[in-house]
Amino acid sequence: MDFCGPFSIELLKQALLYLIASCVGAFLWAPLLTKLLYKYKLTRRGDADFTLRGERAGKIGTPIMGGLLVVVTVTVITLLFNWQRSSTYVPMGAMMVAALLGAADDILNIFGIKRRERKLKQIWTLIRIHRHWYVRLWYFITFPWHAFARAVAMLGSKQNRGIQVHEKLFLQFIAGSIVAYWIYFKLGTYWHSVHIPFDGQLALGWLIIPIIILFVMFTANAVNIADGLDGLAGGSLIASFAGLTMIAWAEGRPAFTLLNATVTGALIAYTYFNVKPARFQMGDVGSLGLGALFAVNAIAINKTLLIPILGFIFYIEAITVILQVFSRRLLGRRIFKMSPLHHHFEFIGWSEEKIVTRFWLIHSFMVVVGVWMALY
Amino acid sequence: MLSPNAQKILADYMSLPFPGVTGVRCPYFINTRVGRRGQIRSLIGKGTPTEIVEEAKIISIQYQHGLFDHEGHCCIDDERHSPHCHSERSEESLSKHKIVEDSSVVSLYQDDRQNDCIRRFLIDNQLGIDCSGFATHILRAHFLETKKIDIAKKLVKNIPAGLTRKIIMRLRPVESIGVKSGYGNDRNTAKLGDETIGYDFAKIQTGDVVVMLGVDTKNTRNHILVITDYDGHTIKYAHARAWSSEGKFGHGVNTGEIKITAPGKGLLAQEWTEISPALSADLFHQANANETFGEAKNAKILEIRRIKL
Repeated sequence: MDFCGPFSIELLKQALLYLIASCVGAFLWAPLLTKLLYKYKLTRRGDADFTLRGERAGKIGTPIMGGLLVVVTVTVITLLFNWQRSSTYVPMGAMMVAALLGAADDILNIFGIKRRERKLKQIWTLIRIHRHWYVRLWYFITFPWHAFARAVAMLGSKQNRGIQVHEKLFLQFIAGSIVAYWIYFKLGTYWHSVHIPFDGQLALGWLIIPIIILFVMFTANAVNIADGLDGLAGGSLIASFAGLTMIAWAEGRPAFTLLNATVTGALIAYTYFNVKPARFQMGDVGSLGLGALFAVNAIAINKTLLIPILGFIFYIEAITVILQVFSRRLLGRRIFKMSPLHHHFEFIGWSEEKIVTRFWLIHSFMVVVGVWMALY
Repeated sequence: MLSPNAQKILADYMSLPFPGVTGVRCPYFINTRVGRRGQIRSLIGKGTPTEIVEEAKIISIQYQHGLFDHEGHCCIDDERHSPHCHSERSEESLSKHKIVEDSSVVSLYQDDRQNDCIRRFLIDNQLGIDCSGFATHILRAHFLETKKIDIAKKLVKNIPAGLTRKIIMRLRPVESIGVKSGYGNDRNTAKLGDETIGYDFAKIQTGDVVVMLGVDTKNTRNHILVITDYDGHTIKYAHARAWSSEGKFGHGVNTGEIKITAPGKGLLAQEWTEISPALSADLFHQANANETFGEAKNAKILEIRRIKL
């Protein structure tokens, strides 16, 4: 792990340069990306999305996968100028894996066919009566997988196209495990402890592995959930990555300062095009990729426990979804009119702009709190 | 008389509390055929009036049906707004106003059209209440106020079930109470009389229930009436039901009465009266229609029961 002095002016100058370069770079190729997304018809379709009616009908035809603007810009700049095996290798790898998963989901959501969903009872019947023994054996072996799929489906996942939620969770778990394995076994003992604000370091040993997996999975999905209104996820991520940049700079970690500054710059360009009415939307490629990158970067600068504060709005959004699902299934009642939280406010009549602006402000304030806590 | 809170709930079922709209009677919905599991209780025929109204607003806004605005007010002002308003007028409003000559009736028609639209919307989206859910909400409010006892929690304790089901029943008591398991269960209710042993009508009180088990030919359907008032001569009851003569859009919560004209005989020998809000008098007679009485006659078991508190 490379370190330099804390609050280094040289590092700050360099970080600002990276930020400006990535912002300008992203601005420059954004029109090309928009053209490509239109050309390959990677746009939102009304037939597959019941929410695109009434006031939201204007979103039909908006390109998705706009997150590529950030992912590609950050990848190119980091590969060219900030590639270090001991530091940026893992975060970039995590981002790439999550972004690939998101990209596959985005594409399948547009071009994929509807997938059949079998109930466990039907599968059990097939195990008993199918005419081919090898099909019966296959269903028998994969029965736990189908049980897992049904359990996830019961929690409210009703996706016909694209990668289904249980598959996404499984793939994210694999990606998180690879990151955790890499961090634990390849990068040395420095990565095995977490910083507790106002207290000091806590050595976790192998327990860091499940914690990393949990935070990477949860954060990636939380950003994905928050990406429901124009500008919400992009603007909030600017604040989060800016906060990480400041913390990394304050602690004198050059590679992460530059990486976070690069992401912040690219996100500024992205959000410029993403505010209502959006020129393009982030898509899973951006939200899952950047969510994973945010979590890994925070873990890398040893601020794991501050992730819920630095990613405040994402965590709130994800928690509202979890609470709503559990309340709905267990108690038979709603806590919120709709979940995630931004839909609740939309439901009670707040305009999209009002929700997004207020969420940005709250999130930015919490990031400031997170940065302040990180300094202790 | 029922307690004030129970009366309020009954009144809300008779006229669901939509802001600015009165007279939308809660439709009947039973989850048995649809088979929704682990859902919000207003979607499985067990919701309170407020929950049903709230769910209707959410569905309308979420799926852009255009019936309600974000403040929850009904925004049906012409027939373009909603697909639920295009079809012919319901039996309920037709029976009320046959002639539109008087200008004062025009505003009533406006209200009726709103009611029709909302009722059709509720029925199309399978929002409503079943008989046991209705009885539980009314009696729960009544006994909470008069005896400070939550009967829903009390009734589910005595319903036989395995461990998992017991946990679910503790979390969702109202949804777990059925006519047979909850009210026809000797551990929950005491029998005041049936058709064979007869009834002591003097003992009947508000809050007692008329339990009908096996009202159809297959012996699978059960029904329950809540006794809302008894003055010594007339049993007044309320229930959630679907009469076949009322068609797809006429069913819902209703009230009726049983006049005790032959005190020494059974319930079936008394005079049952229930006016259908959906059928005109002619249609009612043509259909030979007090179907509640018909169900009582068909029931394998017809009893009056009192909840053990």
